[in-house]
Amino acid sequence: MIGAGLAGLVAGVRLAEGGMRVTLVAKGVGSLNLSPGVIDVLGYAPGRVDAPREAIGRLVAERPDHPYARIGADAVEEALAWFTGRVPQMRYRGDGPRNLLLPSAVGVPRPTALAPASMAGADLRGGGRFVAVGLSGLKDFYPRLLADNLTRADLPEGATVTARHAEISASPRPGRADVAGQVYARALDDPPFRAEFAAALRGLAEPGETILLPAVLGTARAGEVFDELQERVGLAIAEVPTVPPSVAGMRLNTELAGAFARAGGRVVLGVEAVGATGADGRISGILIRDAARTRELPADAVVLATGGFSAGGIELDSHGALREVVLDLPVSGPPEGVPPLSERHLDHQPLMASGVAVDGMLRPVGPGGEPVWDNLYAAGTIVAGAEPWREKSGEGIAIAGAYRAAGAILEET
Amino acid sequence: MRGYRTILVERVDLGQGTTGRFHGLLHSGGRYVVSDERSATECAEESAIVKRIAAEAVEDTGGLFVTTPADDPGYADRFLAGCLKTGVPVQEIPAAEALRREPRLNPGISRAFEVQDGAVDAWKLLWGNARSAEEHGARILSYHWVTEVIREGDRVLGVMARDNRAQEMVRIEAAFVINAGGVWAGEIADMADCPGVTVVPGKGIMIAMNHRLVRTVVNRCEHPGDGDILVPIRTVCVIGTTDVKADSPDDYSIDRAEVQQMLDAGEVIVPGFRQARALHAWTGARPLFKDERAGEGGEDTRHMSRGLALVDHLRRDGVSGFLTITGGKLTTYRLMAETVVDAMVEQMGDARPCTTADEPLPGSEDGRHYWLGSRLAAQEEAMADDQLVCECELLPRRKLIEAARRRPGMTLDDVRRALRLGMGPCQGGFCTYRATGILHGLGDAETERADELLLTFLQHRWLGLEPILYGDQMRQACLDDWIFQGTLDVEHLPVAVPA
Ligand SMILES: Cc1cc2nc3c(=O)[nH]c(=O)nc-3n(C[C@H](O)[C@H](O)[C@H](O)COP(=O)(O)OP(=O)(O)OC[C@H]3O[C@@H](n4cnc5c(N)ncnc54)[C@H](O)[C@@H]3O)c2cc1C
Ligand SMILES: Cc1cc2nc3c(=O)[nH]c(=O)nc-3n(C[C@H](O)[C@H](O)[C@H](O)COP(=O)(O)OP(=O)(O)OC[C@H]3O[C@@H](n4cnc5c(N)ncnc54)[C@H](O)[C@@H]3O)c2cc1C
Repeated sequence: MIGAGLAGLVAGVRLAEGGMRVTLVAKGVGSLNLSPGVIDVLGYAPGRVDAPREAIGRLVAERPDHPYARIGADAVEEALAWFTGRVPQMRYRGDGPRNLLLPSAVGVPRPTALAPASMAGADLRGGGRFVAVGLSGLKDFYPRLLADNLTRADLPEGATVTARHAEISASPRPGRADVAGQVYARALDDPPFRAEFAAALRGLAEPGETILLPAVLGTARAGEVFDELQERVGLAIAEVPTVPPSVAGMRLNTELAGAFARAGGRVVLGVEAVGATGADGRISGILIRDAARTRELPADAVVLATGGFSAGGIELDSHGALREVVLDLPVSGPPEGVPPLSERHLDHQPLMASGVAVDGMLRPVGPGGEPVWDNLYAAGTIVAGAEPWREKSGEGIAIAGAYRAAGAILEET
Repeated sequence: MRGYRTILVERVDLGQGTTGRFHGLLHSGGRYVVSDERSATECAEESAIVKRIAAEAVEDTGGLFVTTPADDPGYADRFLAGCLKTGVPVQEIPAAEALRREPRLNPGISRAFEVQDGAVDAWKLLWGNARSAEEHGARILSYHWVTEVIREGDRVLGVMARDNRAQEMVRIEAAFVINAGGVWAGEIADMADCPGVTVVPGKGIMIAMNHRLVRTVVNRCEHPGDGDILVPIRTVCVIGTTDVKADSPDDYSIDRAEVQQMLDAGEVIVPGFRQARALHAWTGARPLFKDERAGEGGEDTRHMSRGLALVDHLRRDGVSGFLTITGGKLTTYRLMAETVVDAMVEQMGDARPCTTADEPLPGSEDGRHYWLGSRLAAQEEAMADDQLVCECELLPRRKLIEAARRRPGMTLDDVRRALRLGMGPCQGGFCTYRATGILHGLGDAETERADELLLTFLQHRWLGLEPILYGDQMRQACLDDWIFQGTLDVEHLPVAVPA
């Protein structure tokens, strides 16, 4: 496994559980720590998606180069069912085939397939009454903006929302103006601060209202923190994901890495994969470089999960040439004749969907569609054809793709 | 300072014209010693004055002129002779010494000359001047767009301006009107029915790189050309520039071929330049004056004079109470002001002397120049008791709130021009949301406007990013997309996405 993000870890867990000896190498921790901790499958296509499975069907019919066209809609469902069982402490909740609609930190109703129980309670589809509560030391959450936008939000027929805002000053670092979300989260793992925090929340909301808080309610003991806060306050609470560093993303990262370790997987962090050895169309080893030297790690099969531009798996040089950094695989960029970037920031940006093209077994392919290596697979954002931040499809593509790639390896060997 | 009651009207924000779109160089004059002797002397004299009166806005980096392998080796001697003739202080140093001081410099340089270039922060300079003017009783009306110059017979009586925030027209009556509209000065002269004041927009591109690849300003010792100056300013260095006649002064588009040209030019000065991270690109238009009545021709903007141009409309058009000052350089801004006000007092028959060369601007009284650590040093004193809204540019929350109280209704671009919000490596990735939340929380921006502020700022930053996205800045842009679109879903905020 190359890459310690969601895709690398998911493939690693599945292979290790399937009895393989798995080593995961990565330059650093993956992007999970930056991500909101929800599981998006398909949120916009381009209109807001209510039922992702059907929407994926329509999407792949229109866009045969989309990663979901290779992964298949069936695999998504199977993979998610498997995945939620691997991270039970996250307590993922969904609504069967339908997306939830959860408030983002700026108060936009954001569609997502699964969310931790600590967030799912803010589902806006049925409307509701909310009090957004900020923490005076946390500069990454603005409850008034959240509340005011929520009251103006575009909601399904019949749903009405009222929202107001408040702030509490309970702090793990009293007297400090700038307190990071992780500091709140770790302090809330400890009962004394949790009690102080609960006391500060009491009385802020009325029966029937849901308290929206930034997603900093605990790290290792998040489940316990959440249950206890709701009980002590006597009202429903829901977490809202924050911008990076994201405590909810960190929880998922920690739990998934734990599942990998328990299944017998080995992690080597701080090394860079720089190439491969192989013959007759098969890779026999990955070259990895650390501070001291370059050495070969023998492998029967390899999953490339190094992410897209943001994680460093794909690079664009100053002349406009695209490169896959580990194996120099062919990169699929914007089609000929299409402007690579738009002047309008929020438009479709074809260049940003660059990555490696894969076949039906998730193997990177050359221009003619033939696999580059028979035993090399790719999963996650490195796969070409999507702008997952726009579609809200990142986790679905990563989890289902990695699950399928791992499945293909298990079948082969 | 001369005791007049004055009003400054600006159609957008201070620094939204060419002054905020320049290269950052306080010219020693060296660039013009061969091609434009008068400008060279003016720059030499004025840069010394600006270093004194606006110390806070200037970093006294010093400068080098170097002969790279790509340059005509014969130019160096003409350069040296030109410096002596025009009074531009210069000293030749061994090439090896230049390389010792600037290890990244092209090792193939054959000659090197030390000059007194500096780096000047346009926004600090502007705000220093603005505060000084206010202390002397002036009023500054930004977002006031002059649409009409009021004339009665042969006299100018004032202007009509559209207040673009209150959405109303304002009539300003004045004993005298000075047109310092830069590249737009011709438009304003037209409003006064004084046609033929042609200001040709000489458009140029600049790219800020994420690090100071050099410590001193580095110029190529050649006839002024494209991409031949690298200016270290604050935490970045800026490569530039080009000079192309533009159809409109408001054309800020960035040509990708020119981006490539700048990167190639950077390689000549600092080999490996393309591997460095590009941060942001912008263009500006030089006000190059051409008086149609004087019949001066020429389409090649690079060779048009950088000298300042005073247009005396009394002599030229028989119109009193109205003068135009344009052309020039940022380095000679003070001289331009002195020249035009001297002409005004002469016309009014009210000789009052100019003191701008002697009186330091507020904030510069101690004469201490800006240095790289200034901001961090100031921040460290307050570190424990404030939140940093923008980590890249070390902007504390308190400063944002103070600014919002002083100037209600700012856009995030206004905040950027005043406080550098979003100008660092992440280009607004983290601070945009925070600043919006804070201004909205203060009640300074109601909700719909707050949403617009956020989206508009992202769009405006994108204009300077999109043309230079590669390497680490591409990586950053994708992370920012994950944040704004992935986590926050800002594209579905309940407002129209700005054009
Ligand atoms: C690419 C480039 C690089 C440069 N590099 C340097 C350098 O390194 N060093 C240097 O010394 N000089 C440099 N210059 C030159 C320097 O930037 C300009 O000469 C100087 O900034 C012009 O200042 P100004 O006040 O005349 O014009 P501006 O700064 O353009 O001011 C004119 C103002 O008038 C406003 N205005 C226009 N019309 C109206 C209206 N109708 N109503 C109200 N307001 C109006 C505009 O918004 C604008 O803010 C450079 C120029 C360019 C283009
Ligand atoms: C010496 C120097 C150093 C610099 N260093 C950096 C740096 O380190 N990092 C960095 O990010 N940038 C840097 N810049 C670039 C800077 O951020 C700006 O891009 C540049 O100064 C032009 O700024 P602007 O504010 O005029 O508008 P821009 O940033 O160019 O963008 C604003 C856009 O919106 C339009 N606009 C804005 N307000 C209005 C309005 N009210 N009405 C109509 N149109 C409007 C303008 O037409 C323009 O197209 C530097 C610039 C200079 C001169």
